[in-house]
Amino acid sequence: MIRAALIGNPNVGKTEIFNHLTGLSQSVGNFPGVTVEKKAGRLVHKGQEIEVVDLPGTYSLTSNAVDELVARDYIVLERPDVIVDIVDGTNLERNLYLTLLLLEMDANLVVALNRWDMVKARGLKIDPEKLSELLGCPVVPTVAVTGKGLDDLTNSIVNAAGRMNTKGKNAIQYENDIELLIKKVEDVIRESPAFIEKYPQRWLAIRMLEGDERVMEQTRAALSSPQIARILSIIEAGEAAMK
Amino acid sequence: MSANKKLTELKPGEKGRVVAISSCGSLRRRMMDMGLVTGSEVKLIRLAPAGDPIEVLLRGYSLALRKKEAMNVTLEVE
Repeated sequence: MIRAALIGNPNVGKTEIFNHLTGLSQSVGNFPGVTVEKKAGRLVHKGQEIEVVDLPGTYSLTSNAVDELVARDYIVLERPDVIVDIVDGTNLERNLYLTLLLLEMDANLVVALNRWDMVKARGLKIDPEKLSELLGCPVVPTVAVTGKGLDDLTNSIVNAAGRMNTKGKNAIQYENDIELLIKKVEDVIRESPAFIEKYPQRWLAIRMLEGDERVMEQTRAALSSPQIARILSIIEAGEAAMK
Repeated sequence: MSANKKLTELKPGEKGRVVAISSCGSLRRRMMDMGLVTGSEVKLIRLAPAGDPIEVLLRGYSLALRKKEAMNVTLEVE
């Protein structure tokens, strides 16, 4: 069975796509300890069973808001086979921020370029093939309300599940001084084998440099106190150098 | 000639480029997540009756900001 998760900014048509894919047969489940629900449903496509999880709508993946954290923890800890990032084609610039965050997490991504009818109607020009090339993942134009493109989307999900993860090769490159800090933190992280399987290292390093409390908490157990101290001193030195 | 103004000093229809956001912590992060970063163009669309909140056009979409959040955004205005 393929495990796919739907994610995207609020109000981009995620649940519409979810309902189309699963034929409204979703069951509602709760994440423990939070009030935000995730919905799960199943479909069979060309004999292949796919479980689809509808994550809360989110603009970002910081640890400051519960809904963002639900989405982020699901992606990082549950590691679904495919992440379907639903993007509002009429508001591409803002939506792509989340796409880049997902690429940074080494997510096995398929982008659904939704509201494709509105994109056309407004005379916006988007080249899905070029976008796919730049992001390094499939981009499928869809119209959630009519179900157009959803067959292509399902095909892309199945194909993506069967291919090796591209390991975030198209994720953002930061400026040299930042990249150097990321490398240094990554070097410390890499000493701890517990992380290598579980988390994308570059993503962990970047979150640590951001001072993400959740990541610090989650990693405390797997790092020795000298290692934590080294990471903190790298962060401190980096901040001092940038002032 | 360009001058720096607070976002709250703009009149409806006026626009500028973000030069600084003086909020901190998760509020600053949230504003940046929404695309309000140094260099982005912001246009004031309208104010609510009491002048709070305000509606701005940013990256092709409308964003509503509380006045006290908008006070922390400094723009370069032509």
